Amino acid sequence: MSDDYMIELRNVTKRYGDLVANDNVTLQIRRGELMTLLGPSGCGKTTALRCITGHNIPDEGRVLIDNQDVTEVPSYKRQLGMVFQNFALFPHMTVFDNVGFPLMIRRMNKAERRERVMEALRLIRMEEYEKHYPRQISGGQQQRVGLARALVYRPKVLLLDEPLSNLDAKLREEMRFEIRELIDRLGITAVYVTHDQAEALALSDRVAVMNAGHIEQVGTPDEIYDFPRSRFVADFIGLSEFLAGTVSTISTEDATAVVTVKGLEIHVALTPEMTPGQNVLFFIRPNDVALLPASHKSGTNIFDAIVDKMTYLGDRSDYRIQLGESLGLRVQTDGKVRFDEGENVKVHLPIPHCRVIMDHA
Amino acid sequence: MTFIRQYLNAILRSRKLLVQTLLLCFALMIYTPFLMIALRSVGRGWFGRRWLPPELTLDWYRWAVEVTNIVEITKNTLLIAVLAVLISTAIAIPTGWALGRKNIPGKELLMSILLLPRMIPPIAFALGVAQIFYRTDLINTHIGVALAHVSVCAPYAILVLSATFEALDERVLEAAGVCGANPLRSFVHVVFPLILPGVLASMIFTFTTSYNEFTLTLMTYGKDTVTLPVRTYLAIGEGYWEVTSAMSILLVIPSIIVLFMIQRQVAPEKLVGGFKGV
Repeated sequence: MSDDYMIELRNVTKRYGDLVANDNVTLQIRRGELMTLLGPSGCGKTTALRCITGHNIPDEGRVLIDNQDVTEVPSYKRQLGMVFQNFALFPHMTVFDNVGFPLMIRRMNKAERRERVMEALRLIRMEEYEKHYPRQISGGQQQRVGLARALVYRPKVLLLDEPLSNLDAKLREEMRFEIRELIDRLGITAVYVTHDQAEALALSDRVAVMNAGHIEQVGTPDEIYDFPRSRFVADFIGLSEFLAGTVSTISTEDATAVVTVKGLEIHVALTPEMTPGQNVLFFIRPNDVALLPASHKSGTNIFDAIVDKMTYLGDRSDYRIQLGESLGLRVQTDGKVRFDEGENVKVHLPIPHCRVIMDHA
Repeated sequence: MTFIRQYLNAILRSRKLLVQTLLLCFALMIYTPFLMIALRSVGRGWFGRRWLPPELTLDWYRWAVEVTNIVEITKNTLLIAVLAVLISTAIAIPTGWALGRKNIPGKELLMSILLLPRMIPPIAFALGVAQIFYRTDLINTHIGVALAHVSVCAPYAILVLSATFEALDERVLEAAGVCGANPLRSFVHVVFPLILPGVLASMIFTFTTSYNEFTLTLMTYGKDTVTLPVRTYLAIGEGYWEVTSAMSILLVIPSIIVLFMIQRQVAPEKLVGGFKGV
């Protein structure tokens, strides 16, 4: 069923001297989807992108675009559109000539070229800037021109290499929506590289989380956030609290299991991989934990605790609490819920939010 | 004296006036000798301690053109300068590319080796060049004198061009590739226009260097390759101060034209990439 994929990386390995930048990376990107490569700097996401653009030739493995092996095809023959972090506009050309460059290279006649460029400039609301030079317009405008230049000849694939990281925070959010809207409207396959998890979750159809040269997990933003498969993914995306424990009992009837963490019995949602006696990593998002007054009645996953430290953050309150004898846990609640430092409370860990990560070294 | 005292007091009070005074002193320092030459070239009977020549004339210019065969000499000078520019640029483009764009170990050391000919006293360097040229029959040939000039012109050209090439943004070249431009078309439409101001600047610098070069020419010229600076020097020896001054002024004209070209062609904003927020 390889027909469904627009881009495929098959066992791609790329080394720079002793450094393995991509270690046996396999990734399939479906036609029309927006796939984000997410990871910290140096995780190999840019290397993978450059294998797609043709600026890197992998040491091992194959790269396929539209079911054609392009591993050794130079980038100018790959029919791609690309948006760069530093915009990379041609400084000696006007906005019009920048956007028209891919058409000029393809020897499109002048009248048609003009029509297409103006259409692209309308799409990014920059018609009146056609005669400006890149240095005369703002960073956000430059990046919109970069986007128009990448899309103007309707390439098979749009590649975006941290396109928003040189813009300020407010503009970044605006551009995020603008990019998503453009990509939806054109129905183009897009690969988006970023280290910003919020950007990745907001934009993507699917996210590939990368770490140390390999892909940790591929999934929809929901899957990545709710069901991280490794400690790295859980840690990198959103806030996470981890507690090392052991699976003590499994109950298939109500699809729960009990994980013992330093004598504390925490009920968690059952997954097929769990077996009793297994060492696992219990994890929960701090904002999924509920704090209740000490008077609240006991129950499943409700434990006595003491507030160690409280930081008021306006819309949220950030607590460091002590569970049982020696378990520290970070909890974030609505700003309206207020407990004082030293106060006795009850902590509720709702079962659907209690998760377990199997693979931890 | 009161005027001077008032002026000094005014300087102490006003920073602007101080800056203007310093600039004026600087201008005087640079232009007074030139002004003297200019006056000398049009003055007759200007002896002793007079401030200005008593009588003005253009005779010395006529002499300079007629007596010293200035047309032939200008031709020599220009031909040698053009040769020196072409050879220097041909050397400097690949060298500058390598130094500016490739990761070469010991780049700084290489740069200083390149500049070494400029560190040796010119006369000593020229003496060495002359010895080689006598053995290789390059004395009194245009190409020989031009080659001697290249030894000082090429380092300049390499410096300017390596900086130009270094400023070329790799991402912009990659962008051209992704847009579908093959290496040749990338060069024609992107690389060439971006490096052109730098290449022009380098050519203009090498041209003026060769045009005004004296020491190396003096040691390598012959009767068929006399250049303007050398002829001017020889005229001093012949004792015609006025004619020499006229020649010096004539010598300046192409330099001024070239300077004008620099300002017109090499607009500073064309030299930099002009990216915001990078």
